[in-house]
Amino acid sequence: MSKQQTRTVERLKRELGSDFIEAAQPRQRRLFIRIMPAALRKTVTMLKQEYPELRLMTISTVDHGLDLEFLHHFHANSNGLIVTLRSIKPKEDNTLESIVDLIPAAYFIEREIADLFGVKLVNYPKPEPLILTKDWPNDKRPLRQAMEGELPPQARPSAETLISTSCVAPISTFIQKKREEAGLPRTPPFAFTDEKAMQEFQGIMKNTGFAEKAGYDWEKKRLRYK
Amino acid sequence: MEKYASFLGCQIPMRLPSIEIASKKVFDKIGLEAVDLGGYSCCPEPVISRLLDKTAWLATSARNLVLAEENGLNLMTLCNGCYETLAETSEVLRHEPEELRKTNEVLKRYGKQYKGKTNVKHAVEVLYEDVGVNKIKTHVVKPQKLRVALHYGCHMYREQPGVDIMRKPNMMKELTRLTGAQVVDYGLERLCCGYPSMQADEEFSLKQRLMLKLSRMQEAGAEAVVLSCPACTIQFEMGQVMLRQQGIQFNLPSINLMELMALSFGVPSKDLHLEFHKSPVLQLVQKMEAV
Repeated sequence: MSKQQTRTVERLKRELGSDFIEAAQPRQRRLFIRIMPAALRKTVTMLKQEYPELRLMTISTVDHGLDLEFLHHFHANSNGLIVTLRSIKPKEDNTLESIVDLIPAAYFIEREIADLFGVKLVNYPKPEPLILTKDWPNDKRPLRQAMEGELPPQARPSAETLISTSCVAPISTFIQKKREEAGLPRTPPFAFTDEKAMQEFQGIMKNTGFAEKAGYDWEKKRLRYK
Repeated sequence: MEKYASFLGCQIPMRLPSIEIASKKVFDKIGLEAVDLGGYSCCPEPVISRLLDKTAWLATSARNLVLAEENGLNLMTLCNGCYETLAETSEVLRHEPEELRKTNEVLKRYGKQYKGKTNVKHAVEVLYEDVGVNKIKTHVVKPQKLRVALHYGCHMYREQPGVDIMRKPNMMKELTRLTGAQVVDYGLERLCCGYPSMQADEEFSLKQRLMLKLSRMQEAGAEAVVLSCPACTIQFEMGQVMLRQQGIQFNLPSINLMELMALSFGVPSKDLHLEFHKSPVLQLVQKMEAV
């Protein structure tokens, strides 16, 4: 990484705090910076200060099923450095914060993204369709994929039950009652019967990325897709 | 007295508690101490979770092994799927240092470490090797005069390289014979029951797997199928219900080896709560008791 790049990355780390996720330089003149989506505009402002010749090349969007990834590509300087800002938003959010007031060149591409992926532009001066007709149905956007994670439909209930309860077969009140009648404890000594054990189990699900891959929503305690 | 940490898994306590009851009765009779593993989780199941994230699969499984290690006990499973996951995890962590490092890095956050001190055995192995045929024989007071087909379950064939894959199935066959049942061969013993493929293709699972087995068992004159795996039991029971809904009539009782052993040890059927079964196990046993 050049001195300028190092200085930029260090500044972003310092000023963005936890909104800065990581920086990677796969090639000499290519810099990828992963940020939290909320920090997009702040980061663009800082890049403009760091690189006075900054020019927006394009914004690409990738539909990952459950999330949308936005890649803002900038031509940074006359040495040919390309800086890409990566931000990933859950599809439930379904918005893209406009940078048109900071970088006017984003005017058309942001509208194109809105048309093709069905996302709502935030703070865009005149959010009208660019390439689709005004009556184009919201649920049939050409590049938008179904809200689905990696698991096939049949595997989803088991995965959801596993992450929520630590076992793949949910225990019903009926079975609990029947177990008791049969002289067994109402529930076996599963992790869900012990707070510490459950924290350990769900900690593993979180820290290994298993729950994220499965598309689990910890607040709602269910998968983000059916 | 032999002492093991008992790993019940998910399906037995949640769907087929009669197997849990029967195993406790059998272990009590033969003097095998099975200690409940407090705070355990799903093994986790060996298909979806392993494919989704291997590190999570190993760490979750290793956490269960550590619970047994902390009690200074070897682990015994009643479920073939749990056996596959826990035994394979044990093998991977003993022979692949990088996987061990990653797993222990995850477990370290919770003050745990996998040390590789716990051995994993299926209950069939424990009964055959640790308790022994001769001791079990002495407890058989009510031989079950039945013609049965055996479904060993795919995970029962898992062995170390170079070891005969029929080692555990042969043990299961011999244990079944000890109960007084006559084992009939039907030629499709090694065919999967179709449980895992239900996730992907119900028609294939029912018609190309379960139905083939049921037909051959019926032709061989089996009055029941004996199983050692709760998932296979669910497939045999629910699968027959589903086939009947399509007009294909099968009604073969699907009984677990532990239940059959308990009956042969003289445990009354009412104490086993066989009503948890979705196939006519209870009716078959009551008919035999009447005789």
